[in-house]
Parts: sequence; structure tokens; C-alpha cells
Amino acid sequence: MASASTSISASAASSAEEVLYEVRNISKNYGSVVALDNVSMKVHAGEVVGLVGDNGAGKSTLVKVLSGAHRPDSGQVLLDGVERTWHTPHDAIEAGIETLYQESGLAPHLSVSANVFLGREEMKKGLLGKLGFLANKEMDTKAFQDLKDVGIAVPESNRAVSQLSGGQRQAVAIGRSVAWASKVILLDEPTNHLGARQAGEVLNIIERVKSKGFGVIFISHTLPHVLKVTDRIVVLRLGKIVADAPTSTFDAEKLLGTITGLI
Amino acid sequence: MTTQITQVPTTASRVKGLLKNQQFILLVVLAVMVAFFSLKNHIFFSNAVFANVLSDWIPVVLMAIGETFVIITGGIDLSVGSVVGFSGVIAAFAMRNLTAHNVGQNETIAIGLLVCVAVGAVIGLINALLITRARIVPFVATLATLGAFRGLCIVTTGGGPVGDGPDSAISLTVPKYGPFNGPGLVVVVLVVIIGFYLHKSRFGRYTYAIGSNSFAARSAGINVKAHLTKVYILSGALSGLAGFYLYLRLSVGSPSSGQSGELDAIAAVVIGGAALAGGIGKITGTVLGSLILTTVTSGLIIIGVAPNWKQVVVALLIAAAVFSQGLRNWTKGGDL
Repeated sequence: MASASTSISASAASSAEEVLYEVRNISKNYGSVVALDNVSMKVHAGEVVGLVGDNGAGKSTLVKVLSGAHRPDSGQVLLDGVERTWHTPHDAIEAGIETLYQESGLAPHLSVSANVFLGREEMKKGLLGKLGFLANKEMDTKAFQDLKDVGIAVPESNRAVSQLSGGQRQAVAIGRSVAWASKVILLDEPTNHLGARQAGEVLNIIERVKSKGFGVIFISHTLPHVLKVTDRIVVLRLGKIVADAPTSTFDAEKLLGTITGLI
Repeated sequence: MTTQITQVPTTASRVKGLLKNQQFILLVVLAVMVAFFSLKNHIFFSNAVFANVLSDWIPVVLMAIGETFVIITGGIDLSVGSVVGFSGVIAAFAMRNLTAHNVGQNETIAIGLLVCVAVGAVIGLINALLITRARIVPFVATLATLGAFRGLCIVTTGGGPVGDGPDSAISLTVPKYGPFNGPGLVVVVLVVIIGFYLHKSRFGRYTYAIGSNSFAARSAGINVKAHLTKVYILSGALSGLAGFYLYLRLSVGSPSSGQSGELDAIAAVVIGGAALAGGIGKITGTVLGSLILTTVTSGLIIIGVAPNWKQVVVALLIAAAVFSQGLRNWTKGGDL
């Protein structure tokens, strides 16, 4: 781990100039409940940032602000240094920010390729396409190739997602985000409910995604996964950021202490 | 769906595959029913009876096709029967007026058709607004419109049929092409087109996606509310078309037309293999399901069984369909 984290922090430092996605002084209240209090964080190109915190720390709210699902009460959202306002998650998606939600983002009754292309279907050429008919074969082939590119082997892309294992489903969900993202990928608890081997596969995919130059924000409760795959860790507690430091400066005990407030 | 491991298909595996195919099972059930009724009373196997079964089937399949879209989204439309009644009544008033003003019969019938579809579409829109804007669950929203429009059928007509429309209307439903009449053939073509549309178009894909996981659909950028609105309008419009067919058949707008039609429509869809939880359903299943329903109704009458037994037979068919669905899910781990 030690040698890996050294090289990672070196690469993070080299890309320090290229802040890809950033929030500055974000606050969000739900009635009298303060969910986020003056929160600032950033992710660079080719960097994996871990976002951790106890239940109720504000992680989900921050993810929703980053993905465009919620608008902050105050503060700025900047993509490539330009201030942006997301009215809907679709705005963020169009700008190149893909989110993998904690709840499954896949439709289990649809095929792998239908899921990969959901909302961005390719149409048949000519009149049939204008009438709304889908180019299913082309999408099947492309989905298979796109998933293969990030190291995801799915038996057949016309197979229903409900027939895949939990790990395969999560791999498809991540593959889908990677296939479409052009800048930032938000992964909300991607290793939840997965066995050790399957979680390992997902972490490997994240490593590959990072090497492609995306900014990745990895939200998880599973601290060993966070320590293994991230370059930098941001800790939220009661709506505030209490730590933002390279992963190499943390060990499991220190990270847990920072999250709970015992250190 | 092919299996992951390549294996040479044996006769046994082919038979197994067929037994897991709901459409094949439905086709067998239909064939067995036709054989059974024909053996009990040879009159059943005649052009006249088939024509009657098909004529009963047209309004049921129209309601059921719209209901299939709605059920695939995970919703339900209880108002389809009331749409049939109300659209027929309103069109009957319109056609009576046009006839009184000596408008040509063909023009009158064409306007009647448009009125039926428009009334159905408007009721569909009302359902959609109740569901997507007022956030009322589909069962309750469409239960409200079921009651409201059945009530309006009685209020507007005083409970009696609305006649004095174009005389040529009834002749359109006389069988001309074997057991089919002209409008019936048009409906068959329409059903085929809609079937392709559900299974091959982006509109169909979104219909399945919403029923399968509406969260996933929304996060993929699909405008779920707008899509649901279109689906309920489609259901209303097709039920309006069913209302027009029943007007033609009776040559009057009857306030009781389509009464309990929603139960037939839902039964046809469920027998056809769709899941009320959403995400699953096929047009071929609904077509066969509705054909089985209307065959049972006519068959029981022809072999001299009291028509009330129909409800019992339908209940058994629904139970068998749902049971076989559960069985297939259990053996396959949740396939389509």
C-alpha cells in the first residue's frame, strides 16, 4: 500500500493545476436541519477522492448537489473553473458528470445494452428511426465493446440485467457511467452489498477509470475500500468538512477517529 | 434468451423451452378451449360463432392493449370501461345532431370516430394529471374517473340509449372477410403496429424502463411524468376507439357500454403474462389473453353453461397465469 500511495499522491500533485470539478462554500438546509454548512471540495482530473462520514454527516446531500439532484441554498458549483447551475440531474449529465446512485440505477427487466444506452438510445437509420424505432443490434455491439474497454466482461449484452450476479450488475452500472461520462464520475456506495471478490473487481474498475483521466468521487462506508482506491480523502461530520488530506496520511484507525470525532 | 454455456439443444430442452414460453402455453390453452367447446357443441366451430367471438374481442383487446402499456409502467387504469361508455354516449349525441342536420353518413361516422378517440384521450389526460401532478396513486386516480364518467353516462343520457344516428353504422360490423368485419381488420392491423411499437421503439423502451425501475429511468434523464402522461392518453384513446366500435355494433350510444370492461382488460393483460408490479408484459400475451377471455364467454353460453360461470373460469385462468409466472421466476431467477 505504501509504495502505491506514494505514486498516487505524486500523480495527484502533478495534476494539481487541473481542478476538474469543485464546490465552494456550499450550504444546504432542510427546514431547521443544517445538512451542509459552508462545504468546499474539489476533484482533479485522474484523481479519486474519497468522501466519507457517519450517517447523517451530509454525504448524500453533497452527492445530490454534485449530481444536480438538489440545488444548494448558497455557494458555487464550478466545472473546469466555470460556475454552473444544475436545474436537473440531466443538466449535470449533459455537462459530463455521471452519477452511480446507492439505489440501483439499472432497470432489471431491460437488457445490459438497453441499460447502458438508457436515455441515449440510438435510432435506426431513415424513416423507421424517425418513427422512433431503435437500432438494437448496433447498441448491443457497442455496449459490449464499451464495457470491455473498462475491463467488464458481460456474457451477452442482450441478456436481462436481472440474470446477472450482484457484482456483474454493479460492474455494468459503473461501465455505463464510464461509457458516458466525459469528466466526472460520482460513485455512491458502489461496493455495498457485494462480496469480497466482487468488491475487488469494482475497485479494479475504479483504478482503470482513474487512469483514463476522469475525476472520480467515491462515497463509501467501507473504509478499507476507501483507503485502497482513493488518492485523497474528504471527511464530513455534521455537515462540515473536518478533514481533506492525501490518503497516505490516513490509516484505518485515524480515519475512523476523524469520522467519529474521537480524534 | 440464450444460455451462457453453449449446448446442443436436445428435444427435451426444446420442449422445456416451449413450456417456459407463456405465449406458447396461451396458444395451447386457446386451442384446447376451441376443441373442447367444439366437441361439446359442433355449432361452436362455425364462421358465425368465430365472427361473434371476434366482434366481442375487438373492444376488449383495444382496452387491454392500452392497459398493457399502463401495467408495464407499474400503473393501472381502472377507467377504461367508463371511457368506452362515455365516449360512445358523447359521440352518439354528436352523430344524432349531425344526422338531424342532414350531414352525410360517412362524414358523420368519421366525426363520431374522432369524438370517441378525443373523449378517451381527454379522460386519459385527466388520469395522467391526477397521477403525475396531484400525485394520486394510479389505482385511486383511475377509480375516481371510473366512477365519475360512468356517473356522467347516466346523467347525460338519463339512463337510456342515444340513437337516431347514421343508419349505415351497424352494417359496418357485419362480417365481410371470413369471420372479420372491416373495422375488426383495421383493429388487427393497429394492434400489430402498436405491438411493434411497444417492443421495438424508444417509446416502448421507456415504458418498460419506468415500470422496471422508475428511479433508474429518471436518473437516465427520461422525463417520467411526460412519458406516463402519453401512456395514459394512449390507454384512454384506445378505449375511446373501443367505445366507437361498440357504438357501431349497437348503432346506439349505450350508457352501460363497457361496464366492468376494466376487469376484462386487466384480466386479459394478467393472463397474457404481464406483471402488475411493472416492467413485464407483451402485446402477443395480451392479444391471446383477451382472445381466451372472449372465447370462454361465448363457449360457455353455446355449451349451455350459465354465463355467471365465466367469472369463475376467468378467476381460475388468472390464478393459473400468475402461478406459472411465479414458477418461471423461481426456476429462472427472475427472467423477463
